[in-house]
Amino acid sequence: MSGHELHPLVKQLLDGDITLADLPAELRAEGEWALRLLAGVDRTDVSMPAVTWRVMAQLERRRRRFLPWLLAPALAIAAALVIWLVPRTPAPASLVTVRFVLVAPDAKQVSLAGTFNQWDPQATPLVRAGATGVWTATLMLPAGQHQYAFVVDGARWVPDPGAPAIDDGFGRRNSVLTL
Amino acid sequence: MRPESQAADGEIVRAVLAGDRERYAQLVDRYRDRYARYATRMLGSVDAAEDAVQDAFVRAYDQLAQCKEPDKFVGWFFLILRNRCFAERRRNRSSASLEAANDVAAVDRADGGAETAEQRRALQRALLELTADQREVFVLKHVEGLSYGEIADRLGTSIPSLKMRMHRAYDKLREQLRDHT
Repeated sequence: MSGHELHPLVKQLLDGDITLADLPAELRAEGEWALRLLAGVDRTDVSMPAVTWRVMAQLERRRRRFLPWLLAPALAIAAALVIWLVPRTPAPASLVTVRFVLVAPDAKQVSLAGTFNQWDPQATPLVRAGATGVWTATLMLPAGQHQYAFVVDGARWVPDPGAPAIDDGFGRRNSVLTL
Repeated sequence: MRPESQAADGEIVRAVLAGDRERYAQLVDRYRDRYARYATRMLGSVDAAEDAVQDAFVRAYDQLAQCKEPDKFVGWFFLILRNRCFAERRRNRSSASLEAANDVAAVDRADGGAETAEQRRALQRALLELTADQREVFVLKHVEGLSYGEIADRLGTSIPSLKMRMHRAYDKLREQLRDHT
């Protein structure tokens, strides 16, 4: 055994098979050294809350990249749509009525967060239409460009697959609506 | 009816394979943090680990049809993440030590003195000098707190083989750290 190797009994100590008291006196110092080594191991928990978003955004980006354009209408049933409505009553010239639609049958609640409501996920809830899983909200928005995302069940930020999207600089995708 | 959040892994896997892609987020939510620490200690930096965990989930999604036992998704996913971590270590071994030492230094500024910080930096560097196999068994036993039996089940190997790896790791740490602790 070279001078660098730990005594087999000290290895058993590190494995938790024996205690320091089980070591003969001449191995105590080596045993204490070994236990100090283990005490210095970093066992801090690590949390990665952004991973869910990053994974789902990556899958979605890839799906959109490879989705044959002509097939898109067939998949629209599972996608979110943004529909511009002709207002029944004239809106002020600078405002446009926009209907946001998300098909999310499993969602308990859906809201909209964007540049038009200071990204507040509480500010603009969508309403579920019966048991179909279709959630809608109709807003009057000023002309110009807006960025937004759907917030599903208060936690999951979902870009609108039916609208163009851009990176927000923090690993997420924001949908872009130009009126 | 059972809420979706309590659905079994196998149920979610089958739903995703049947076309309900969004359900995959439930699996990611469920397991992303369980192996975050393992990946971080294997790679020596949280940033590298986060990329690895993300990539592993994307690969798992791509290969989901090959998950023979959907109810054991998590064990299958772990092996994908493990392969990803091993590949990453082969690619970036030289830069990992410095990042790891910096990560430890950041922690120690908050909770310890310079001597402790230096010891922990040295330990972190020494752990990254272990082979990936040695480091893995060290992380699973002494960071994740698994027994040799549990590690053997997870990696599909024998306990004597794991102990041999671990004991070599102890000797290597001893060689590198005898002046530090």
